[in-house]
Parts: sequence; structure tokens; C-alpha cells
Amino acid sequence: MIIYIARRLLAAIPTLWAVLTLVFVLVRIVPGDPAIAILGDRATPAAVAALQQKLGLDRPIWTQYVDFLAQSARGDFGTSMVTNRPILADVGAVIPHTIDLTIAAMLIGVFVGIPAGVYAALHRNRWIDVLARMLSLIGLSFPVFVSGIFLLLAFALHWRIFPVIGNANLADPADRLLKLVLPAATLGLVMAAYITRVTRSAMLGVLGEDYMRTARAKGVPWKRVVWRHGLRNAGLPVVTVVGLYVGILIGNSVLTEIVFNRPGLGKIIVGALNQRDYTMLQGLMVIYCFLIVVVNLITDLTYGFIDPRVKQA
Amino acid sequence: MTFRRSLLAAVFATTLAPAALTTPVMAAPKTDLIVGMAAQDVGKLDPHLAVSTIDRTVVAWLFNGLVRFKPGSMSPADIEPDLATSWDSTPDKKVWTFHLRHGVQFHGTYGEMTADDVVFSLQKAADAKRSASSGDFASFEKVEAVDPYTVRITLKTTVPSLLGIVTNYGGGFIVSKKAVEALGDKFAAAPIGTGPFAFAANTPNQSLELVAHKAYFRGAPKIEKISYRFLPSNASRDLAFQNGELDLEFGNQDQTWVDRMKKLPGSVVDVFEPGEEAILHLNQAQKPLDDLRVRQAIAYAINRPELLKFQGADVSRTPGSVIPIGNLGYIDAGLPGNDIAKAKALLAEAGFKDGLTLKVVHTQLPNMLAQMQVVQAQLKRAGINLDLQVVEHATYHQMIRQDLSAIVFYSAARFPVADVYLSQFYHSRSTVKTPTAVANFSHCTAADAEIDAARTEPDAAKQIALWETAQKKIVAQMCSVPLIETLQAWVHKDSLDYGYTLKGSLSLGPLITETTHFK
Repeated sequence: MIIYIARRLLAAIPTLWAVLTLVFVLVRIVPGDPAIAILGDRATPAAVAALQQKLGLDRPIWTQYVDFLAQSARGDFGTSMVTNRPILADVGAVIPHTIDLTIAAMLIGVFVGIPAGVYAALHRNRWIDVLARMLSLIGLSFPVFVSGIFLLLAFALHWRIFPVIGNANLADPADRLLKLVLPAATLGLVMAAYITRVTRSAMLGVLGEDYMRTARAKGVPWKRVVWRHGLRNAGLPVVTVVGLYVGILIGNSVLTEIVFNRPGLGKIIVGALNQRDYTMLQGLMVIYCFLIVVVNLITDLTYGFIDPRVKQA
Repeated sequence: MTFRRSLLAAVFATTLAPAALTTPVMAAPKTDLIVGMAAQDVGKLDPHLAVSTIDRTVVAWLFNGLVRFKPGSMSPADIEPDLATSWDSTPDKKVWTFHLRHGVQFHGTYGEMTADDVVFSLQKAADAKRSASSGDFASFEKVEAVDPYTVRITLKTTVPSLLGIVTNYGGGFIVSKKAVEALGDKFAAAPIGTGPFAFAANTPNQSLELVAHKAYFRGAPKIEKISYRFLPSNASRDLAFQNGELDLEFGNQDQTWVDRMKKLPGSVVDVFEPGEEAILHLNQAQKPLDDLRVRQAIAYAINRPELLKFQGADVSRTPGSVIPIGNLGYIDAGLPGNDIAKAKALLAEAGFKDGLTLKVVHTQLPNMLAQMQVVQAQLKRAGINLDLQVVEHATYHQMIRQDLSAIVFYSAARFPVADVYLSQFYHSRSTVKTPTAVANFSHCTAADAEIDAARTEPDAAKQIALWETAQKKIVAQMCSVPLIETLQAWVHKDSLDYGYTLKGSLSLGPLITETTHFK
């Protein structure tokens, strides 16, 4: 297992390098000068030139690239061009919020979506199935900035159960949980809608299989047949979707963070993009890429757990 | 006692009894202020590098200048002593001496402010490598400390308003020399000033925390803590204010927002100066805008009352000149009114009987984009098609400075003396893509002589007359077409008393002073 993980991590190095290069090129080909963004519209060309020199933007592009790769390899992401704060400190301050939201949304997605999908498949074309399909369609149709505002209007303004400002005190678990409920529900229900559909479809595929009939014929209780034999065999596409969706959650949580006034990686990246904060953008992309690699690795390991044939291969 | 009675007794004991005991005691007024700002984070809190509204609003709470605008005002007539108690100048206005207040303490352990700090600050503000306001100090020859409490400024040439340069705005803020030298680049993240509030902490992407500067020279502030929350979503920031989670909020410059917030119980909407004047700068270096008749046609096609109706009468007003209303030297310069027939006739005369199309780079910022779409519709009536290339805001700033747009829609407020706006937007020295570029997007050269002469004119009346002539010449050459002036809009709880009447603020946000308090 350790060798397998090590091999997968080593295989991620070329991916990381390719992403780093792409990020380096992309942030520089997008028009918009960081020096102008930082100094504002009253800055003289002399001031802009002086700042470009200070930020190292006047150096040959390949020198900047080599320095960037070397720093990334050392895990040194430097400081933000705009705030002068260390990038890792900024990321470190918000990443617990992003992890909280991602995990909570994923749990809601999995624990609502999988049972709903299984029940829908078991009651194909009956009212439970129709209801599950309708709800999942509604869940997928509502953008998070609309459903988020609705939840705020209902639970923060009308019933006053949750606050509007969601920047939780990390040292206070109760506060952390209180401010996580609405954003996690917003993101998690969309994920649940998606997982419901995939689980239903995968379950419908396995319910008619011979081994299911055999298990029943052997006298295995129906619940056990469904959850152990059925779901396990239908699990691979579901795990794939969950893995992919977690990656999307990390990247797409920005709207939820903005609507619920939560700190998070998504919000930082939008700010960095607006201000052309190259160093911050580069650092964040490396971190994102690393997180995606880790999520993919966990997904792959889960395949092996669900289906031993994957591990043997 | 039955179970139900026991339960009732317990409920009473835990909830009602403490309330009954505390009722007679008057609750102390709140001392922590929570402000909601449309921001992802702060940028630079070094006052000489603070350029965004987000940063400027806070910096004004942390620092002082040698002189200041009276809180609530941004009229040059209301400039009063701040760190300097008095000042005098030679008759030719080239040498100015400032006498500093004794005993002014910097935040933390950085000690007393002296002439060395003032000299250091003004030299730093004049240095393009360390300041975004260096252009304002071009006329400075030297700044020197005469003694620990006296500073002398010598100018190469006279300037229209020396006090304007050393006020609590832009490069005029005084920093601690010791702190800047000790903290280096970190100073911009954890600044040290003399203002009523001191930096305490910044949680990235969440909030900036300030605490009262107890040793503030005007007395300890009544507000003890300020939490400046970064809340970029307008909708959820408004909900947070409505829910009582904010005391003060940065608002939207539109009538719908003002009307909605006014209806909230316990809220007071602040609409105040400066008015940011939105102007179409017509690029005379590009055909067909090199033809005066085409530029005049654009001016006649613009319907300012319609724009005012679109933006809202409470937050905007119709401009009368190429500089904002209220600037020292402003006159009603006689802008052309809306006349579509005349616009079409001028176009036909210029050889564009069937109309024309202009490529225009514009920002995707919602407010500016919405205004430009109204302009686009107005020009269309005269047969002028704007081919809008909508780009992200930073890209827009870069592209317009590369002279890539036939028309530049630009909205700005500046220090309220005519010279600043005229020099930055209409003097040939400021033409984009030149080594001394600032924001002359139109390549205007109409009033260079008057702008230059006014800068060094010692007689105030003659100086104003020169600025008036400059405005008329710029309008005659139709370098630009003023559209609308939009005022600043915030909202606060009615329990919050600023301690002054808010009519204007150059920092674009309400000043929180030592007198600000909750009732």
C-alpha cells in the first residue's frame, strides 16, 4: 500500500510541474499590470516602474520562471505582492474554513444523496422515485448564490437561528458549527442532488444482476443484499463522482463563501485575481493542485477498498 | 411540588430572575463598532500606498496630517490644524514653516512625534519608490527639521494649495520614522500612526481589528474597538446590517439601495461628498474623434437628466463642467444640452450621414457598466454605435493607459482644487503613453497655458479666473463629455453618533474620531 501511495505521489510530480508552468504563463498573459492595480490611478509612470522593479516584474521572464519553480520546490511561496504578508500565513488562516465547508458539504452530499439514490432505484417509477428525481432536479437547478440568499432570508433574517456573517471563531467549536450549517447545506444539497442521480442510475444497473438474485435465493436478507452486494457493486461510479465533486467543491466554494461571508481559499483567489497578485495566485494554484492530487489519490485508494480487483491491477 | 411546577420554577430562576435583577441597571452604551466593507481584504495600510476606497477609509482612522479637513467636510475652506498647531509662509509662498504640536504620541511604543518623523514622512511620500502620491510633491525642493517641533518646506515653484498636499489625505499622512525603518515592508500590513485608532490585528479575508489609541492627542476615543469586516457580497452585507450584525456599512450608489435602506427601522443613510464625476474622454488621437464636429455630436447626444433618473436623484447630480462641482475654481462651463437633431447634423457635416461605430474598452464593474450601457443607448439615437469591449477591471485600467480605446469612461474624485483635476486629466503632460502620463485619455491640449499659469499665480482671484478659462477652453475643444456625479453612500445605525455632521470625506468613508460614540 505504501509503495502504491508513493508511486502515485511521484506520478503527480509531472502534473504539478505542468500546472505550475501553466499558472505561471496564464497569470502573466492576462492583461492588467499588478503595479497599476497596487498603486492606483494617480500613480506616475516613475512610481509604476519603481514598483515593477521592486516586485521583480522587470526581470527576464525565464528568470522569474526558474525562481518560481525553485521556490515552489522548496515549499516557499513567498509573500503577497499586494499585502506583503506571507502567502502560507494567509492560506493557513483560511484553509480550516475551506476544509470545514468541503467536508461538511461532502458528508451532507453522501449521507443524503446515496440513501436517496438507493431508495429511488428500489422504488423505480413509484412516488419515492419521482420525488427523489424532482428534488434532485431542483437541487441542481438552483445556483448557490440564489439558494444561499434564500436560506439566509429564512434562517438568519426571519427565524434568526443563524447569523448572516459566517466568519467563525476557529477556537470555538460551537461557533464554528453554527456558522457552518447554512453554507454546508447550500453546497451539500447540490452535491446530494447529483449523487442521488448517479447512485440511482448505478443501482438500477446492478439490481437486475444474477448475483443479486443468487444472494436472495440463498436467503440473504433483502437489506443486506441491497446495501452490501448492490451498493458495493454500484459504488465505483458513485465514488468517482464524489471524488470529482470534492475537487469541484474546493474550487467552487467561492460563491458560497461570498454569500455567507465566510473566509476561504476561493475568496482569496478572487481577490488575488482582481489585484493581479501573481505570487498569491501562483501559491494558491500550487496548493489547489496539491489538494486535488490528494483527493484523487484517496479516490483511487477507495476504489481498491470497494473492488479488490482494482488493487490487484 | 409537581414536576410541572418545578420545571416552571427552574425556567424562572434561569431566565426571568436574572433579567429582573438587571433591569433597573442602565445598560452602558456599546463601545465596539462593527463596520461592513465591500472588500475581500485590505491591501496596503501604508498611507502613502493606500489607494483603494477599502484602504483609504481605514487609513484615515489611523493617521493624521499636518493639517486636516474639519471632520465631516472636504472643503479647502475648512482646513484646520492637526499635527501642526500653526504655520506661516513667505510672501512668495515658496517657503512654509509648520509648528508642530507637542506631546503627540505614536501608537504602541514608538514614542513622540517630532519634526524628524514629519520630514521622513514627506520625503517618503515624494519618493516614487515608496509612494503612490509622489506626483503631488513634484514642486517640493526640500523638507527640513528646523528644531524638534518645527518643519520647513521649500518649494521649487508655488503650488495652488500647499495645505492640500499636507492635509490628512494621500501623501500628507505622517508616519513613524522609527516604525517604518524597523518594520520595513511589514509596515504596510501593521502600520503605526498617531490617529485615534491603532492597528491591532488582521485576519486575512475576514476582518481588520483596530483599538482605541488611548494616548491620542485630542483625547481617548469613546469607541474602544473597531472591527472592519470584509464582506464583498452587497446582498449579504445588507442582510447582515438588517440583522443587526453591523453598525455601519458601505453602500451602493444607487437610488434603489438608498430607498430600501431608508425604510429599515433604526437606520440612517449617509450620502456625502465627494461626487465622483463620470466623464467620457474622447480620444482626439484616433479618427474620427480628431474631428471636433464628431466630438460635439457625441456631446449633443448625451442626455444627462436621463442618466440622473437612472442613477437616482439622492445619490447623484448633473455636472456643470469638466471638473466636479465644489472644486475650488469650478464654474458652470456651459455644457451642451441634449439635441439629437443637432448631433445628427454635425455627424452628417463631418461625413458620417449614416452614423459611425467606435470601439470602446470598458470595465465589467457593474455600476460603471450599467451607466455606460445607458450612454450606449443614448448615442445610438444619434447614429453613434459603441462597440463595447467589456473586460475585467484591471485589464481595463491597463488597456486605457495603452491608448487602446476611442472613448474612455472614467469616474473619479480628487482633492477638491481645480488644478488637480485639470492637471491630471487635461494637461498634455499627463497624456497617456508618455513618460509623465497620468490620466489625459483625450490627448487634450486646450488649456495647458492656463493650467500652468494658474499653478504659479499668487493672486487667488486671478488663479481662479485662469481655472475658469481653462474649463471653458476644454469644453470648447470638447476633450470630454461630463455625464453624472455620483456621491458616496453608506448606512449606519441611528444609535451611532459620528460626533460631527457628515457632509464630505476625502477618504470616501465616514471618519471615526475620538468623539464618535453610541448613544
